[in-house]
Amino acid sequence: MRAAFSEALVRLAKADLNVLLLTGDHGYALFDDFRKECPAQYLNAGIAEQNMVGMAAGLARAGFRPFVYGLSAFIPVRVVEQIKLDVAHDKLPVVLVGDGAGFVYSHLGTSHQSTEDIACTRAIPNLSVYSPADRFELTACMDMAYQSRAPVYLRMGKSDRGDVHAAVPRVRAGSLLEAKPGKTGDIAFIATGSLVRTAIDIAAESYSDAAVWSAPFIKPMDSEQVTAICAQSRIVVVLEEHSVLGGLGSVITEIASEFAPVRILRVGVRDRFSHYCGTYEYLLKEHGLDRPAIEQQIRGFLTAN
Amino acid sequence: MSSQTQSFDAKALRETVLDMAYAGSTVHIGCAFSIIELLAVLYRKHLRYPGNDPHATGRDYLVLSKGHGVMAQYACMRELGWLKDEAFSAYFADGSELKGLSDSRIPGLEVTSGSLGHGFSVGVGLAMGAKLRGTDQKTFALVGDGEVNEGPIWEGALFAAHHELKNFMVIVDENGFQAMGRTQEVLKLGSIQAKFESFGFEAITIDGHDEVAIDCAIMQLWASNSASPKALIAKTVKGKGVPFMENNNIWHYTRLDPVTYARALSAVDGRAP
Repeated sequence: MRAAFSEALVRLAKADLNVLLLTGDHGYALFDDFRKECPAQYLNAGIAEQNMVGMAAGLARAGFRPFVYGLSAFIPVRVVEQIKLDVAHDKLPVVLVGDGAGFVYSHLGTSHQSTEDIACTRAIPNLSVYSPADRFELTACMDMAYQSRAPVYLRMGKSDRGDVHAAVPRVRAGSLLEAKPGKTGDIAFIATGSLVRTAIDIAAESYSDAAVWSAPFIKPMDSEQVTAICAQSRIVVVLEEHSVLGGLGSVITEIASEFAPVRILRVGVRDRFSHYCGTYEYLLKEHGLDRPAIEQQIRGFLTAN
Repeated sequence: MSSQTQSFDAKALRETVLDMAYAGSTVHIGCAFSIIELLAVLYRKHLRYPGNDPHATGRDYLVLSKGHGVMAQYACMRELGWLKDEAFSAYFADGSELKGLSDSRIPGLEVTSGSLGHGFSVGVGLAMGAKLRGTDQKTFALVGDGEVNEGPIWEGALFAAHHELKNFMVIVDENGFQAMGRTQEVLKLGSIQAKFESFGFEAITIDGHDEVAIDCAIMQLWASNSASPKALIAKTVKGKGVPFMENNNIWHYTRLDPVTYARALSAVDGRAP
């Protein structure tokens, strides 16, 4: 996914000299190509994220198209107020890229883990929130973010869990993408980011009739599409590498409660920090987001009523 | 630069602020009065708005980072014709457009501020943008001395100096007070000029109510051959122009009643109440 990000960024920047990349001293080798191809469009703002986002707003006011890169633990969480006041209030075309969402920086602990960024951003007016699941969705999201000419938070999570599409999908803002076809009926899966691949694997093995929908857009969200999915299902399972408070599960349950009440299992981080150090896979397990734990949650939910 | 018909007379600007504050029963009078002369000189002499258009391409930028002083800027914008009298008489009425802190939706206000430490960085971005474009646009960021408590100010100062943004000037309204007391007692600042100089700015300290001194200092800073960003430290008096408000920090928060309104007006225009 990171390679696709770099590739998309270079492509956009070469086509539009107003595109600028701002980084808070993060990225390193990720930006080798960008620095080589577009050196005049690269700005390392230093370890100073608040100023970086404010500056991006100023640059956008001056007609530039800033992409602001940082770890998702910092962009957007550390700079929520700058995003709200300096960027979103005036619908400035700034794309905020938060890399390493969820537990990607597993060994580094709480400071670098990010499971509240969606909750922090989706309540900000004028700000869209994207959460691609693979390199193809990432490419589509980058193009959509650039074309939207509006503030976007793009959440990049774990990139090595396998593609969920075979090519860059055609997207429209808010649309859910069918990552695994299914029939209407018993169970449907809606997932975002890293857990789309997991949802496909679980469905393929245990719930072969179930469709899996990927949500590359957390906001806006096509509520009619969500309503249709909920109306056609007995159970909906929503999966995300994010807190169950304020993330995709919240979005889906909010829509469902209004238009198509259905039982929804929210699979995500249960309002707690990581206690232990370990690999990415270890932390998924600690938080019940590994495949066996998710399957157990689903079985329990299905038999509860 | 505005037309010659606009005087930006400090006394008249203060009267407008008092009228607004009384009509709207609003606060922050002291914050507005300390920057009256600074704004008057900027609008009269230094800010270029082609065609007197607040949105003109190629204009200079004034970022009021200390949004609490916005009534002073409203008063200047009335003189420019960017705000109509109706907006003032309806100040703070339900559905009215002018808010108690700066809002970029008002023509002439570049940013939404009030939460402090934001406008400086936006100004740095505007200045960086002008540098990248190769234009001769200048950016002023007006901050309060209390506001420089905020970390992003110093993040932006590092960036501005590193990138040699000689088209950027921070103006510090050093009135010596912040919301809860004297700046030196809340969080000791020491020499603001020395601080900005240590960050790589070229800095001058002046009397922020002496319009000739303000004008000369701005010209001197822009005339410098140095690649450094500029800092104008303006020593001011919070509540300047009304003796019972001067250096009396309750006028950060206090509203005017009919008696204090009359007394303040008479102090500003020199007549007995």
